[in-house]
Amino acid sequence: MPHDHPHPHNRPLSDVELRVKALESILTEKELIDPEAIDLIVETYETKIGPRNGARVVARAWSDPAYKERLLSDATAAISELGFSGVQGEDMVVVENTDEVHNIVVCTLCSCYPWPTLGLPPVWYKAAPYRAKVVKDPRGVLEEFGVTLPEDTEIRVWDSNAELRYLVLPKRPDGTDGMTEEQLAELVTRDAMIGTDVLTAQ
Amino acid sequence: MPTLTPDVVPGLIATGASARLDEDVAPTFKIGDRVEMKNINPVTHTRLPRYVRGKTGVVERDHGVFAFPDTGAHGLGHKAQHVYSVKFSFRELWGDDHAENMYLYIDMFDDYMKAV
Repeated sequence: MPHDHPHPHNRPLSDVELRVKALESILTEKELIDPEAIDLIVETYETKIGPRNGARVVARAWSDPAYKERLLSDATAAISELGFSGVQGEDMVVVENTDEVHNIVVCTLCSCYPWPTLGLPPVWYKAAPYRAKVVKDPRGVLEEFGVTLPEDTEIRVWDSNAELRYLVLPKRPDGTDGMTEEQLAELVTRDAMIGTDVLTAQ
Repeated sequence: MPTLTPDVVPGLIATGASARLDEDVAPTFKIGDRVEMKNINPVTHTRLPRYVRGKTGVVERDHGVFAFPDTGAHGLGHKAQHVYSVKFSFRELWGDDHAENMYLYIDMFDDYMKAV
């Protein structure tokens, strides 16, 4: 195998990496954690829990009006019907995008995010520029994501600062009438479920 | 034997730990109430962001009873209380040069709010 990837070898660890290693060492020495449990948590969120889960929720809601009604009235229970529940999804709210309304989710205080349906948050979602700007200039943020909405579209920004976690139910793209639930799920992006993307049938 | 072992991880991830409390606490506010966020500046943990302090919104939804992080974070108890979705116009938060059809929804604890 050619060894041409760009990262430097033998570089010193960053402050964050050092801090994480120190914390893990101390917690292990104090017998509070088994390091294999940490590996299992990381592996679970790397391979099993991610935005494909949320996409299945969205596709079901598009396909089954009764499910959509349950999802909008008691999101935690409806999402758990599909087998998705747990850490950072204990108390869910789903907000629906329509022709008139576009929803966007942020956590201005930190990085709260619905893990069971979307996995772990992208770096930009956790970064100060997104968190500071989206509550003040959501249209400007959407432009940065390549999304322009009509002026008469109502914008609702949801700051998930407390214990509720939010998932956006994106608008179903035109021209998808004949699609199966599986095909619909393929159209759903992570960003559309945060509210920084709108979907097309491409 | 460590507290966190691989065998408990799947259950922990699948169950989580809701901050919702099964306690019978009366709500101070009801849906439709106009409410002002208190202008307080604690140096300790709070979920009341600076940008809504002193601003007036409307209670849109009552999420039920939850543990209060401002006391819980410091070992001072749950102080169970209602959490509401409160709606603010961008004009209230950021000024009259913002469009009329833009709103911010945020989850506020009883202790953060006073009636207008």
